[in-house]
This record gives sequence, C-alpha cells and structure tokens, in this order.
Amino acid sequence: MSIPEIALNNVSKTYNPGLFKKKVQAVQDLTLEVGRGEVYGLIGPNGAGKSTTIRVLLGLIRPDGGEILFRGEPLRHGEFQKEIGYLPENPYLYDYLTLEEILQFCGRVSGCAAEDRRRRIDELTGKLQLDEALRRPLRAFSKGMLQRAGICFALLHDPSIVILDEPMSGLDPLGRKLVFDIVLELKEQGKTIFFCSHILSDVERLCDRMGVLVKGRLARTFARQDFAASQAAELHLLLPAADDNLRAELETLPGRLAAVAEGLLLSIPPSRLTETAAVLARLGVEIRGTRAERVSLEELFIATVEGGVS
Amino acid sequence: MNRVWALAVITYKEGIRNRSIFGILAFALFVLGLNVAVAGFFMREIGKVTVDMNLSALTFSGLLLVFFVALHLMAKDIDKKTIQLVFSKPLSRGEYIVGKYLGILCFVVVSLLVLAVFSSATVLLVRGLYPNYFAGFSWPVFFTAGFFILVQLAVLSAILILFSTVTTSSFASLIFTVCAYLVGVTIEDVVFYVKSGFRTEQISEAVKQTLDVVSHILPNFAMWDFKLEAAHGLVIAPERLGLALGYAAVYIVVVLALACLCFQRREFN
Amino acid sequence: MPRKVILLILIVLAGAWGHTRLSRQVWENRRETRSRIETGYVFPSQFNRVLALGHKGLYADYLFLNTITFFGERQMYRESLTREDWDYLVTGLNAVTDLDPYFLDPYVLAEGTLTWETRRFADANRLLEKGMKHRTWDWQMPYYLGFNHFYFLKDFNKGAEYLMEASRRPGSPNFLPHLAARLSYYGDQAKTGILFLTGIINSTTDERLRASLLLRKKALEGAALIEEGMERFKKDLGRAPQDIAELTAGGYIGTLPEEPYGGQWVILPSGRVFSTSKFVEARKK
Repeated sequence: MSIPEIALNNVSKTYNPGLFKKKVQAVQDLTLEVGRGEVYGLIGPNGAGKSTTIRVLLGLIRPDGGEILFRGEPLRHGEFQKEIGYLPENPYLYDYLTLEEILQFCGRVSGCAAEDRRRRIDELTGKLQLDEALRRPLRAFSKGMLQRAGICFALLHDPSIVILDEPMSGLDPLGRKLVFDIVLELKEQGKTIFFCSHILSDVERLCDRMGVLVKGRLARTFARQDFAASQAAELHLLLPAADDNLRAELETLPGRLAAVAEGLLLSIPPSRLTETAAVLARLGVEIRGTRAERVSLEELFIATVEGGVS
Repeated sequence: MNRVWALAVITYKEGIRNRSIFGILAFALFVLGLNVAVAGFFMREIGKVTVDMNLSALTFSGLLLVFFVALHLMAKDIDKKTIQLVFSKPLSRGEYIVGKYLGILCFVVVSLLVLAVFSSATVLLVRGLYPNYFAGFSWPVFFTAGFFILVQLAVLSAILILFSTVTTSSFASLIFTVCAYLVGVTIEDVVFYVKSGFRTEQISEAVKQTLDVVSHILPNFAMWDFKLEAAHGLVIAPERLGLALGYAAVYIVVVLALACLCFQRREFN
Repeated sequence: MPRKVILLILIVLAGAWGHTRLSRQVWENRRETRSRIETGYVFPSQFNRVLALGHKGLYADYLFLNTITFFGERQMYRESLTREDWDYLVTGLNAVTDLDPYFLDPYVLAEGTLTWETRRFADANRLLEKGMKHRTWDWQMPYYLGFNHFYFLKDFNKGAEYLMEASRRPGSPNFLPHLAARLSYYGDQAKTGILFLTGIINSTTDERLRASLLLRKKALEGAALIEEGMERFKKDLGRAPQDIAELTAGGYIGTLPEEPYGGQWVILPSGRVFSTSKFVEARKK
C-alpha cells in the first residue's frame, strides 16, 4: 500500500480544564489513515472527539501522545498548512471585512500570485453563487452564505487535502446540494477529503471509508465496499412483530430474519419472492413494506455507539 | 513578511470600520468643543489650558481606541475561533502576533491622525479668538507631545497583546491592561513620594522593594508625557526624546517577544 | 526545544537586559526633569468638582498626594521654594479642601509649612477657617488659628477668642482656658508660646513634623530663658537692656542657651527676644 496522506498513530488528548475540574479524555489512542484521493468520513455523536481530532491535526492543540504523519513524515506545521484547506463547523470570519478582502488575505498568506488570486476568487465565488456578495461586509451574510464563504476561504489556494468539519450544518437543501456537488467535484479532481459529520446520509453518499468515533475511541471503521455488501441483491421485507411460535415458523423460510425497530426484517433472494409471499399469506402475516437495505447506516451507527456491533 | 503584512492589512481594515470609532470621535469632539467654550473662563493662560485639554482629549480617545477597539480585534479572534481559520493557513504564531500588532498600530496611528487634525483646528480656532494669550505656544512641541501620546498607545497595545495571549477571557485582558496603564502613569509619583522620605517612616521595606521592582517591570508612562512642556511651549532636550523613544522601542520588543513565547504554548479549543 | 523558541527566549533576555539599563536612565532622567519642572497647575475648584466624576474624595486624595510629593521632593533635596512654588502649594491645598473640606491632612500641612516657612499667615488662616467651619468637632482648627494670631500676628484678643472656641470643643486639653486667660494678660511672651507649642506637639503624631516642632520649642525655651534675665535686669535697673551682651556682662544670664537654628540671639526693639536665623532652618539656595 502506498504511503497514506495523513496517518494518526495512537494519538491521545486529555483536556485539563483547570483546578478542581474533572479532566476530559477527548481522544484516546486514535489510529487512522487517510489515503491519497480518498474521502474519509469521521462520524460520531456530539462530544465524541471529532473536532479535537481535527484540531490536533491542524496543530491548534498538542496531543499528549502519539504521532501524526503527513506523507510518511512527522507533521511540520507551515508546510502542511500550504497543502490543506479547512472549514470549521461555524465559520466566523470578520464583521466589517468584505468577502473579497478576506479571500485576498487567504491568497496572500498562502503565497498565491495576484492573477491567480483574482482568477480563483472569481471561479469559486461563481461556483458557490457568492459573486454578487463579493463586496458586501461579512456581517450582512446569512448563515448559509457564511458557510459558503468559509468554503471559498478553505479552497482558495487550491489545497490537495480538504478538511471539513460539519460542512452541511445550517444549510438549506439548495445549499447542501451546492456543497455536495463541490465535494464530489473535489473528489473527481483527486483531492484527499477528510470530513466530520453527524448527518449520516451525506457521509454515506460521499465517503469511501468511514470511521465511527465513540467517546474518543475509534469504535469501528468500514469501507464503502463492506457497506455495499450488506446491501447486496436481496429483498428486505418488513413484517410486524411476531410471537415466538410465529417467529419459529418464519425462521424456516429461506433468507435471514432480523429484529428491527419497526418489527421484523426478512431478507430473501428476489427469486424466492412468490414462494415466500404464499407462505406469509398462509400464516396470515401481512407485508408492511420493503426496505432498500438490510442494515441502515443509522442502525449501524446507533449499534456501534451503544456498544454492540451487529 | 508578505504574510505578516496581509494580516496587518485585514486587522487594520476590521478596526477602522468598527462603529465604536464614531462614538470615540464624538467624545473627542465633545471635549474639543468644551475647550472652545470654556477657554474664556480662564484669565491668563488660555493657551496652556487649550493645550492641556487638547492633549488630554487625544490621550483619552486613544485609550478608548486601545481598550475597546484594539482589544476587540485581538479577543474576537480567540473568542469566536477565527484564529483556527487563520492558523489553518501557512501563518506561524509569531507572524500572527507581529501582524496583529502592526495592524492595531496602523489603526491607532490613522485614528489618532484624524483626531490630531481636529485638535489642531481647535487650537487654531481658540488662538484666533484669543490671540494675546498664546505667547508660549509652539507647534513643534505640541506635535512632539502628540507623537508621544502615540508612543504610549503603542506600548499599551503591545501590553494588551501580551495579556491577550496569556488569558482566556477578553475581559480579563482588558482589566489587566487597564491596571497596567493606571500603575504605569501613577508609579512615578508614588516612587518619588516614597523616596522623598516625607512622612514615609511607616512604609515597610518590603513595600519599598516591591515598588522598586514594579517600577522597572512596568513602563514609566511619565517618560512619554510631554503635555507640560507642550502647555508652556518649553524646549525639550533631544537626549530626553531619544531616551524616551529607545525606552519605548525596547519595551515593545520585549513584550511582543514574550507574547510570541506564550502564544507558542497556547492551545485553541 | 524548537529553534524558534530559543530565538524568542534570547530576544526576551537581550531585551530585558537593555530594558533594565534604559529603565535606570529613564528614572534618573525623570528625577532631574521633575526637579527642574516649573510648578504645576491646579484647576480651579469648580472644574475639579466636575472632573472628579463623582469621586471627590478620591480625587482630593490624589491632588493631596501630588501636592505633598511636590513639597516632599523639594524638602528632601533642600531646594528653596520660589514664590510660585508656594502659590502652587496654597492653590493645591485650597483645591483639595474644596473637594473634601473635612480632610484633616491638608490643614495640618498648611499650619506646619505656610506659617513657619514662608509667613503666609493670611493663606494659612483662610484654610484653617474653612477647616474650623467644617470640622466642627475638632478643637485643633481653632487652636491653630489662636496660635497663629498670638505668635505671628500679635493679635492677642483674637487669639484668646479662638482658644476659647477650641476649649468648648470635645476632647480639648484642659489647659486651654488657662492659656486663653494668660494670653489676654501677658500677650507676647516666649513662655506663652511654649505652652502653645506643647499643645500642638502633643497632638502631632507625624514624626517629622514633631521633630521640627520640638526644635522650635527648644528655641522658644532658649528665648524664654533670656526673657527671664531681661525681666530681672528691668527690675534691678529700671530699664530694658540694649542688647544680649549687656545681659551677659551684668551676669543676668550665666551661659547663653544654644540657638538650635544656628543664628545669633538678638533683642528686637519691641523688647522681644529673637534670632538672626528667624527660627528657620538654613536652606541651600
């Protein structure tokens, strides 16, 4: 395997909020790798340590232990910052500056030439539909516009790695579509994308690999392929909950039976549908509906968070 | 250097567009107007009173600029986590400190220049109204005193930045900076009072020694105070000006270097 | 340690070294400048009351500190005060007592300096009158006034009036009525002065002021001794002595008492014993 773009080895971080307060273990023994051109999604409930992971990566906080490798070498801040673009959860830029000024600043500190800056600003603001707002002070921006402005700020210097912390939060459906398309485009351009979210459907649609972070530990990782396997060509029939006798009867049917929130889920190969339907009709069990997948990411997520892995 | 300058530029712009500036300007104009109004109340030294009030108005407005707007420029970055965005760019922490300082300095210089224009206009006006009472007045000394108000504010801004890097709340850094200023302007009188030995037997040795240490750690703002000379149009010896400038420059460098050191260790949550 | 941190520490250390050197120079320079600076300027009281922004007491304290530092510095370096300096002191004390008329310290300073050092009796008395009006419980204010009228202004009746006023106030020493009576009979005698001074010394806690008053008392005691000789001279010869030499030659005084201010004893035409030092410490010009 080629050298990963970013590798975290056994990174731990404990916050010490001061005298007489309990220490908080934000991240424990976290090991993960993000390969070049990969889209990695870190998911987890609030307070799981997602933002801490990103801050450690950015050098805003020092890990207590472990190491961070960037292209196989220990991370050197400054070098690394040239390669990344970062979008925080609720980007707050300045009140009285215009979007253009803040983007010019971004370009200048990243060392872009003047024409490059001009071209990139036009390109990005056009794509994110902010070209009208270029000369307005950021104070007058709506939440969604600020989020998009933050994306412009992150991408202006054309970074090869993009770190996004909750990129979709606070956006309306149109805004989400815009951001979604941008991420897909970045993916096509071969950028490495590392992002945190708790909006699972976004993660599911975008990510090549996912990690579930629970209480500072990486509880589980799976690749898109693993996930797809669970969605193999099967029909998932949703049945009402049944007593033990009925359940024993259902167990004899081809396919697998699993308990879900709404009742029972019977997964069968499509070829056996007629046969199964007949049996169900005989048993007097109605089919309440179908589901597209056997285990939704949400269920996987909840199961992982609660400690059991299905 | 390009990066430092880019940060200085946005800091300056953010500061100069802050609405609070209008309030501070209004305050300065009020004091200057008051000056024109009350000048006639004085019998002889109208020129002196005018200079006193002008320079004090400049000082107070300058202090408000530093304590509110400049503090805001520094503190908001940390409070609102903008600094995380800034540090996601290739900008080192030292460059950040220097850039912020230069930005704040530019902001203070420009604001003070605007105020100085108003102030000079007031002096011209009062002088036109009472031409016989401005015998001792001298523009060069007046502007020298004005320039050293700027020097005081430059030192104070550096102190503000140092406190912003070590405290976690902007209110704490405001309080510390205000205290540093108050001690800095009063320490001289206190030190000389204690040294004068007039009714000072009860003061313990420990207090005297503490005072001595403090007098060398905090800057003595009286060194940069030429209001008295300006009021009477006295000639200021060039050595004094040189010493005052050197004192300020070295102090600013030390304070900013300390701020950089503190910032290297700081974590941003 | 990263190289950057080492570099920063070096800058801080070098800067701190430079700063301490400069700081010493700055303080020395300030000392020189302050001693050369002309007297300050005190805003008229009407402005002060506004400027105090509701903190009149604090502002009064600050002004008083300024005034006393100004005076103390010149005392310390034994520099003589010019007329403007004294004007500054008077306006300063006036401003302080206008802000806070109950503040005792400025009145004590006025009595201790304005009368003895510069003979500005009118200024001192005006201040003390203000103090007497406001500090109604304090016998010292009229007592000081009585002393000034007796010792400096030679207005014995007025002095006796003030003393009676003082004796009516709480906590006043019980010899006041006696002193008042004595004052109206004997008037100008060193002994009366000694009694007065003893009263002031007993109510003074400040060591420095006390020491200077004790010095004065010593001088007056010397004068009283000579006056006693003069009385005997008058009784024997029926006329006042021409000068001190006549007294010593006639054996009316054994050895001349020491004049603590270093002057020569003289007999004034009024018949009072005084000294060429005028009972003021020698100052360098």
